[in-house]
Amino acid sequence: MTVETPPEISALHFPDGIPGFPHLTEFTLVEVVEDGAFQLLQSLEDEDVAMVVCVPWLFFPDYAPEISEEDQEALGLERPEDAIVFCPVTLEPESRAVHLNLLGPFVVHRESLVGRQVVLADSDYPVRATVDLGAA
Amino acid sequence: MLILTRREGESIRIGHDVVITVVEVRGSQVRIGVEAPRSVQVHRAEVYDQVVEQNRAAVRTLDRSADILRTQVPPRES
Repeated sequence: MTVETPPEISALHFPDGIPGFPHLTEFTLVEVVEDGAFQLLQSLEDEDVAMVVCVPWLFFPDYAPEISEEDQEALGLERPEDAIVFCPVTLEPESRAVHLNLLGPFVVHRESLVGRQVVLADSDYPVRATVDLGAA
Repeated sequence: MLILTRREGESIRIGHDVVITVVEVRGSQVRIGVEAPRSVQVHRAEVYDQVVEQNRAAVRTLDRSADILRTQVPPRES
């Protein structure tokens, strides 16, 4: 399996902000560990706002988010390969379980680096999909 | 909250370019049409709220999460 990780990126632009943080529009991706599966999505406007994210296909190879026409147009996406996709992650220290938000992935245009967090309301994808890190 | 009474087929305009239309009323269900610019994301509130809560949880638990990842999760095999 080949997994495409986001390239080295200076600044991501989320013109609409992100749910819960609508006032924050500029972010960057930072490695947590070198060549690791997880990155930090770090706000460039508020240093206290950052979250762990990861490429969903690493853990859910069959994940197939359908990006709505409205989102495609808003982001200028013409082909699937134009999109960088990554999901918010929460961790439970006690159980070594990680949860990916497959319902609300971040979708970013590879060239313009403009993105938004889309909500796949018509899908059955969960907001907390569990991965056991011990088995990953 | 502003409350307006509308019948099937009638609309509400919000600002210059958002129009909410009552498409159909059937029993306790109402079908609602939304016309809005591409820049306005339209979501069912309870679904959007789940994403908001998950984002806040991800930010709230960041320090702990990052520590776990640094110390316990080996780099991906390439």
